[in-house]
Amino acid sequence: MIFTLILGFVLLLIGIYGMLSQRNLIKIIIGFSIADTGIHIIIVSIGYLRNRTAPILNSAVDISKAVQQVVDPIPSALVLTAIVIGLAVTALMLSFVVELYKKRKSLSIDDYQELKW
Amino acid sequence: MVNPIYIIILSLATGFLLSIIDKAGRKLSLTVFYSVLTFNVFVVADWLYRFTVLGVSTLTINTAGFKAPLSINLQLGIYESFVLLFANLVGLLSAIYLIKKFKESNISSLILYLILIMGVNGLVMTRDLFNIFVFLEILSISTYALTILTKNQKSLSAGFKYMIAGGVASTFFLLGVVFVYYFSGNLNLEFIDPNSLTNYGVIAIFLLAIAVFIELKPFPANGWALDVYESVDSGITSVIAVVNSAGIIFVFYKIMPLLPQNLLNIFGIAGVVTFFFSNLMGLKQQNAKRLLGYSSIGQMGLLVSALIFTMNSPNKLIYVIVGGFFINHLIAKAGLFWITGIVKKEKINDWGILKENKFLLILFGLLLFSLSGLPPFPGFWAKWEFIKLLVHGKMFFVVGVILLSSLFEVIYLFRWFTATVKNDSEIEEKIPFQFAKYFSTTVIVGISLIISVLMMRFVYNFQTIHYLPIIAVIIIYLLDFIPSKIKAILSLGAVGAYGYYIYPLENNLQLFFGIIFIVGSAINLIATFNRKKLSKGFYGFLLMMIFSFGNLLVAKTYLEFFLAWEFMTISSFILIMRGKRAQKASLLYMIFSTAGAYLLIVGFALAPSLVSNSALMVSIAKIQLPILSTILLAIGFMIKSGSLGVHIWLPEAHAEAESDVSPFISAILLKAGVLGLLMIGISYVNNTPTFNMFYWIGWIGVLTAIVGAFLASFQEDAKRLLAYSSMSQVGYIVASIAILSHLGWISALYLSFNHMMFKSALFIAIAGIYYRTHTRKMYEMGGLIKKMPLTYITVLIGIIAISGVPPLSGFGAKWLIYSSFIEKGWYLQAGVLFFSSAVSFLYLYRLIHTIFLGQLKYEHQNIKEAPIWFIIPQYIFIIGIMAISMFPNLIIQPLNSIVGHYFNSTIAIDGYNITSSLGNWNGNMVMLVTMGVFIVPLALLMLFNRKVQTVKQFNIVYAAERPESPQTTHVAHNMYAHFRKALGGWGKPRIWEFWHDSAEWAHTFGDFFRRIYTGNGQTYILHIILYIVVIYFIMGV
Amino acid sequence: MNILIKIIYAIISVIVAIVWGLTLGGIVRKIYARVHGRYGPPIWQPFLDIIKSHGKRVSISHGIMFYLGPVFRFGGGLGTYLFIPVIYGSTVFANFSMAGDLLLVMYFIFFGQLGMALGAGEGGHPYSPLGIARGLSQMSTFELPFSLAVIAVAIQYNSLNITTIVAAQQGGILNWTLFTNPFAVIAAMISLLGMNMHSPFSLVLAPQEIPIGPPIEMNGSFLATLQTNRGLFGAAKLVLFMNLFFGGATNLPIMMIKTFLIYLVSVIIGASFPRFRPEQSFRFFLKWPTIIGIISIIFISYF
Repeated sequence: MIFTLILGFVLLLIGIYGMLSQRNLIKIIIGFSIADTGIHIIIVSIGYLRNRTAPILNSAVDISKAVQQVVDPIPSALVLTAIVIGLAVTALMLSFVVELYKKRKSLSIDDYQELKW
Repeated sequence: MVNPIYIIILSLATGFLLSIIDKAGRKLSLTVFYSVLTFNVFVVADWLYRFTVLGVSTLTINTAGFKAPLSINLQLGIYESFVLLFANLVGLLSAIYLIKKFKESNISSLILYLILIMGVNGLVMTRDLFNIFVFLEILSISTYALTILTKNQKSLSAGFKYMIAGGVASTFFLLGVVFVYYFSGNLNLEFIDPNSLTNYGVIAIFLLAIAVFIELKPFPANGWALDVYESVDSGITSVIAVVNSAGIIFVFYKIMPLLPQNLLNIFGIAGVVTFFFSNLMGLKQQNAKRLLGYSSIGQMGLLVSALIFTMNSPNKLIYVIVGGFFINHLIAKAGLFWITGIVKKEKINDWGILKENKFLLILFGLLLFSLSGLPPFPGFWAKWEFIKLLVHGKMFFVVGVILLSSLFEVIYLFRWFTATVKNDSEIEEKIPFQFAKYFSTTVIVGISLIISVLMMRFVYNFQTIHYLPIIAVIIIYLLDFIPSKIKAILSLGAVGAYGYYIYPLENNLQLFFGIIFIVGSAINLIATFNRKKLSKGFYGFLLMMIFSFGNLLVAKTYLEFFLAWEFMTISSFILIMRGKRAQKASLLYMIFSTAGAYLLIVGFALAPSLVSNSALMVSIAKIQLPILSTILLAIGFMIKSGSLGVHIWLPEAHAEAESDVSPFISAILLKAGVLGLLMIGISYVNNTPTFNMFYWIGWIGVLTAIVGAFLASFQEDAKRLLAYSSMSQVGYIVASIAILSHLGWISALYLSFNHMMFKSALFIAIAGIYYRTHTRKMYEMGGLIKKMPLTYITVLIGIIAISGVPPLSGFGAKWLIYSSFIEKGWYLQAGVLFFSSAVSFLYLYRLIHTIFLGQLKYEHQNIKEAPIWFIIPQYIFIIGIMAISMFPNLIIQPLNSIVGHYFNSTIAIDGYNITSSLGNWNGNMVMLVTMGVFIVPLALLMLFNRKVQTVKQFNIVYAAERPESPQTTHVAHNMYAHFRKALGGWGKPRIWEFWHDSAEWAHTFGDFFRRIYTGNGQTYILHIILYIVVIYFIMGV
Repeated sequence: MNILIKIIYAIISVIVAIVWGLTLGGIVRKIYARVHGRYGPPIWQPFLDIIKSHGKRVSISHGIMFYLGPVFRFGGGLGTYLFIPVIYGSTVFANFSMAGDLLLVMYFIFFGQLGMALGAGEGGHPYSPLGIARGLSQMSTFELPFSLAVIAVAIQYNSLNITTIVAAQQGGILNWTLFTNPFAVIAAMISLLGMNMHSPFSLVLAPQEIPIGPPIEMNGSFLATLQTNRGLFGAAKLVLFMNLFFGGATNLPIMMIKTFLIYLVSVIIGASFPRFRPEQSFRFFLKWPTIIGIISIIFISYF
């Protein structure tokens, strides 16, 4: 669990580093996605309990002892929602980039700073 | 009674259905769209009514058939419904505002808009942390998408920056949510116990809080927000600035109980810092929408700090402060952003187009006034209470920063306002009339006014008299179609009735100032009968000012006094602004008045509470003001009376105001400052503190007198000359008050009364001359004595009365002043006053000579006497001056008894002879002797002078030839060049330079700091990350 | 007291002052002439001038204010004189001094100056306002040391009443303000140089620059009135100084001697120095006499 948690944080930092260091709009979005993924991994990892099964009440789980047998379901629920939202944001960002490229024919973030001060 | 969950359900469902409904035509989909928005407003309004009036308890809505924490629960209480009402209302109005866009655009815009509104409702109501995240994302995503409702490169790039900034913030929020869950085992706000959290748990809370805080746009991590405000369609901008901000600030409010106190304090300070820097940077801003953006982030900072610093206060205070700032910001910002969309001018200097559209201009003005925290708008009350609270909490530094930043805000807002109203470029185009846009703006202003009235009525229990200034404006505005003469008569009647209404005053000091304020105003009002056309808006504000003067006298509490004071400032500001080239003048006036008002707020906040139910002027005698309070109040009042150092507004305002307004400002308005100073004095003499502050005030007054006299002597403009003369005279008054002795106060009051009369007469005389000659430059006149003899006599008597030459009343003032100074032992001060009194001859002679004597100009050959309406008030004042000159007892006796309340009398009055400890003065006898010594030589001269031949102009021999051009013969321009030369370096306008340089520095700093907003989206992310890191280290867990 | 007798006394007092003032003027003209190496006019020349001016067949007027200018001037001289008690203890020469104190006298001096300035202004001649501008500026500067001296005197005697001040100086020459408060007297005497408008402070009438300045357009009886006033007003100023600083006078001869000697200070300096430029004059008054005046106040209130 700790390992995945660290992995998540590493991804988060890589993503943020990417967002800060890359000039290309698409690469910035990729950085954002990586960071987002890192978060998702963090969420999953903190819900994970060793030697337990998925939080689905089927034949593999004894209903009376379910609480001891399954991992915490809430982070799993959260991560699903977060993934969906992340997807939506990423899609919207990409569509903005498409529109921006149409207007200016450039993908460098440095070309879009006429609004300032 | 509709369950508020239907707001979310209905919005969501309609959102999905809209694309289908739209197939049946845009009309139908729009109808559904607006119905849902309206429905939301009504549901929330209904609930707010229930919570406030009917006292229904807070509603909790459980979802999915379980109770929390097993399910997500929503909560709707008084706070939620209050915030939601305004959010939904602005949402609805903004949608109405955008109707044209919505008709044309893709149906997805409507859907997004509806989802956005739904998101805010959910965000405010939900009690579940993860749910907050979800609604926050719904809100954000729909907002991102709506930023490009008007798609252009600017809005696209701004939207992109917004998105990555928002994305980073929500990443941290999510991280926070997860770890809060991990450490507390709960996601429901009610069930998270902040005290049980370990250090790691606090970090989780920190992540959560900082993410929300980033969304509240703290300085400097807010560049993205500014870009969005600048580039996005006005309708959407106001949604972002108002609806989104309302939702997010409420989230912040909800998680506040989880936050450790030190983090809250940091956030509170960060809010103040944001308020400061955004307003500082706003100083340099020329783009209207970006300017509003700066103001907006500043106000959010203020709101956050208000939320935090009022945490432990009684409910009523929280309502007034937080609610006041909230409503104020919400309404003003929404309305102003909408107006930017109507005017469609980027640069604030191009807003002159607005001045032709009176209706919109009024809305614009009201919104700006409201944003500046002027009464009666909610921000005023909020600021008053908030400063009071902070002062009581001894947070003086925070108070200073907040007030300084507010001053910056006032500067740029009023620069914008005055530049708009006084724009003198020729404007061809007109603002097109768009019903929907006007409707929304009007409604929001109306709501603001209604709330203001409700607050005055129910929170503060104000009586009619306190509203009277506003009522006057409204009534006269409604009557604006009738000719100005009738309005003048009505106004005169109103002033009379007002005077009668307040008449039985508690003590004679009030009565004395009542005569200066009310009777003086009434006589000055006669001069306005000369106005020819409708003079729209003039009489309303004139009455507002006069009533405010009166209200100062009858005010019973600090707040009532301050309210009247602010009404006085507003009305006089608008009256000054009516002058043709009064932009700079009115702006300067507003800036200095606001600074003074802020000092008064703090001063009053420091003052102990009043015990009696008397007027403040009376009851202040019983309390002891702390030293700091006295100093602040004194500076505040001295700004109004134009003392040295803070006088630079005075000449501009007097000179540039319309010529029949100037007498009010000079003769009466300045006396309000005198009144204030006297009030401090009353408290001071009854409870003398150790620090002798009035000694220094005395010096300031004395220096004001001498500097004012010199400045007046070097003016070319008649009204500026009189303005500096007023400054000088009020310097005498201030100095005499500072003496704090019986004779000193008699001098001060005597001179106040006298100054009111002669300065009114002189300003009205100049008004008449300006009316005929259309110039204020004295060297462009000359020889008018033969054309305007009646005006000449006024000016002659006026200057004799100022100069203090016996036998007129001015000598009484001089006698009293010097006697009191020497009696007190202020010898050097008395010497300086002697000097300034001698210098005053320079400007007085210049005034009368260059206008009336010397050579008549050719263009004035056929000029007539001033109109009768100018002559009448002049002569009323002249009669007054003559009466108290001949019979000084008329005024000395009452003043003796008035001042006798505060000091033991030191003068003996025997008949007309007044004896002080040093000497005596018999005004009546002096008058008679003077008449004698005047008549005897006159008779002798007439006897000896057998044949007098009156010659025509130019019948003089000058350098052996007969001059023919009045311009080359009339000695007027730069008349005291030699004196200026003699003064050398002392003649430099150092004070003006000081203020000018301060302004330059402030703007330079503002410009320096705003360079951090490079416009690069990556830099903004860096700001956010660094901000989080820095706050984390400051918190130091 | 019967008001009629009072008025008769005042008339006597004024006539004496005019005659003495004009005679002083004649003497001074004679002294100047001798210093210059001329024979000079007779001592009664000022009287001849007045008679000659009144004898003119026609006088030129530029308007009502012009007409009233000399009246104001003479009225100012009369008033100033009448508010000063001339001879200590004398009823005839007490004038109307009970109407007010020293402040009244100081301010009544301005009455004539202001009125004259207005009358001269209407004359329309550019030299008049030039002279007046110089005069007013110079007046404001020498008023500063003078007022400081007066304040010092007021502190010293704790009174602004001239009679009281004179009374306090009785009983020996060492009781004079001159010896009890020397700095004030020095400051005031320097101011007097400016008031008397002799060189180096003769800016207003400066014959070579702005030929006689303000009264340039005055003629006939107007001029005669001004010339009469010159005698009276000159006497009044000297009497005031005598009262404040030199122990006053208990009889007419003492008054004459003292005023002559006071006047002589101006004359000696006037005959020895050339004229200042305006700004030099202003600066002069704002520097040394002002500092001496401040010293006099410090001296009298702390020592």
